[in-house]
Amino acid sequence: MTTTATTISGWSAISPFGLGGADFAAGVRAGRRPATWAVPDFDAREVLGRKGTRTMDRVTALAVATTRSLVPGLGEETALVLGTNVGSVKSSMDFARATLTEDKPFYVDAGRFPNAVLNCAAAQCGIWHTLKGPNATISGGRATGLLALNYARRLLRSGRASGAVLCGAVEEYSAERSWLENGSPLGEGCAMFRLERAGGGGVAEVLALEFTVSPDDDQAADALERCVHRAFTTSGETVEDLWLAVGSGGDGEDEVVGGLGERRLNVTDLVGDTFAASSAFGIAAVLAFGDAGAGRTALVTATDRDGVAGCVLLRLAGAGEGT
Amino acid sequence: MGAGDRAGVMTGRVVVTGMGAVSPIGIGVEAFTGGLRSGRNGAAPVQGFDTTGFEHDIACEVRDFEEPPEAGRASAFAVAAARLAVEHAGRPELRERRGLVAIGSTMGESRDIDVLVRQELANGPGAMDPAVVRRINAGRLSASIARDLGLTDVEAVTVPTACAAGNYAIGYGYDVVRAGEADFALCGGADALCRKTFAGFYRLGAMAPDACRPFDRGRRGMLTGEGSGVLLLEGLDAARARGARILAEVLGYGLNCDAAHPVAPDSDSVARCMRLALKDAAVKPEEVDFISAHGTATKANDVAEARAVKQVFGAESPPRTVSMKSMLGHTLGAASALAAIGCVVALTEGFIPPTVNHVETDPECGLDCVPNHAVTADLRVVQNNALAFGGNNAVLILGRYEEAASS
Repeated sequence: MTTTATTISGWSAISPFGLGGADFAAGVRAGRRPATWAVPDFDAREVLGRKGTRTMDRVTALAVATTRSLVPGLGEETALVLGTNVGSVKSSMDFARATLTEDKPFYVDAGRFPNAVLNCAAAQCGIWHTLKGPNATISGGRATGLLALNYARRLLRSGRASGAVLCGAVEEYSAERSWLENGSPLGEGCAMFRLERAGGGGVAEVLALEFTVSPDDDQAADALERCVHRAFTTSGETVEDLWLAVGSGGDGEDEVVGGLGERRLNVTDLVGDTFAASSAFGIAAVLAFGDAGAGRTALVTATDRDGVAGCVLLRLAGAGEGT
Repeated sequence: MGAGDRAGVMTGRVVVTGMGAVSPIGIGVEAFTGGLRSGRNGAAPVQGFDTTGFEHDIACEVRDFEEPPEAGRASAFAVAAARLAVEHAGRPELRERRGLVAIGSTMGESRDIDVLVRQELANGPGAMDPAVVRRINAGRLSASIARDLGLTDVEAVTVPTACAAGNYAIGYGYDVVRAGEADFALCGGADALCRKTFAGFYRLGAMAPDACRPFDRGRRGMLTGEGSGVLLLEGLDAARARGARILAEVLGYGLNCDAAHPVAPDSDSVARCMRLALKDAAVKPEEVDFISAHGTATKANDVAEARAVKQVFGAESPPRTVSMKSMLGHTLGAASALAAIGCVVALTEGFIPPTVNHVETDPECGLDCVPNHAVTADLRVVQNNALAFGGNNAVLILGRYEEAASS
């Protein structure tokens, strides 16, 4: 699906490297490993204040806090598109557990019920930052960040977003998640991007976003191959000019992208397995290089175990650090 | 009428060519239509989970539906509805065409989460069934449709924007097909009833003990429901080229966010969303023949929604405003998708579905909710409202298909 020009004009990340995009960028550029795979010193009450955070879960707090630095200067009509897997699986399981362990099955904390609903983090971003435009939640496993970017791009193109669109994806670390996912080590965090119609400035241009679904679990590489081929074909870019390729840790990604680009990164090596946030962190990793790849292209890929394969081709403008 | 024009955007018309309903009042469009026409009430004591300890146990479940062992209940609903939609559309060949699969949800595979928690409590996290663990990701709702139908050249995306998710997904399908980025879209929503959802709405005081009575003076809240609705959208030209039966046209939609309260709707913001939808569809308020309301039958929702309707349509003679939730319960992420199917049925069959269980209209709502019995009507334009937790609003406008797009 060829894109009409869309610009990423800013970005932000809270990651195992720290509470800002600059921390993430410094870590990625230095090729360092974070000291811990959880976001260090991240406490919703400390980062966001006591008011309104009593019932806030980690997924929501990470998303609200990451979005915060991108909001200044934006109007109330700004749209928000947030990717997640199942919201906070800890919230969902805690709520389910209370129905089984309390004296009555309905002795649950009503104030935490919205946390078990999948749009909680996106809605809270809207409420905290007074963003009254379209407010969407997107889910697609490892490809979530790419699918969210495509949704955001279309909001801009259709005119449903009258100003900028903030988009990205979030994942938490919790004991509950560790019971459900085998990824090792499990990371967490949130990466958000400010998207605007093309024209002046910006840190990168979105050249193409392509998706397919693999018919079986063992055909992820073929599915991704088709996406990558189409991204280059529709954008008119050449593989030879590819500067950086970033994988999200899914099956078959190395097979397809291993030989492409001058540089190769895997998000999982940088910040651990951040599942629903992995391809958003892949985009952030590209932007982390700032000027280094100015004028060149970068590819971020993702394959998900449930079948989705996707990629985005970006052109780096090379200006501005993440906030 | 017709799709509003925007600079630099293709303005192809987008039509509905197939629908699949898996609902508490019937599976398949024919049964669903019969249910809407006769005002069937889908409420009954819960069978799907243990309700011991609750003081009431009425909900709207999909009966006679057995999910296959490898699928979660919500995904199984979604796949079943998608198959029905393709069947209903005359089984067009979709594998060679580029498509979008967009499925909304409120809770995802929430019943499976309950199952896993029960296993964990009994025997520790190591006792959780890996087959259940494997199927809980929300992305699976849409990806499993693609795999089931053998569709590979598709973007499969789950749009879990809670109780407005069905309209969000249909709107997304409309935008993507309209722009020529896909030849078709399979879009809608799905959710499965579970204990945690039941407990949550119960604790919020949002749930009725017996029946769902939207806009009624004596209403006591919603009933939880489950199911899936999936619509097949195609570009008009492609639909005509394959000789498809065209059921209705998607005229436009609106999205916005209250950005105010986690659970209470804001009537000014809901009114703004309706205006966005009407503008997008290039429809004047007086052209709307009836409104399919979000209509949960909570005290707060119905008053706020009625107020918003009157803001946009005038207090004198607003369109008839019905709530299909009176029959279906609140099927969460499926709610606006099933209601959209109900709207298309209304357009093609020429009747307005009723608001059942109605005794006396709440003067604070003051709307003609078509009480208890469907009415015959010649309909051209209908509006489908959806309001979600967190103030995520989505309003969809559907029109009777007319060959020449009037303006």
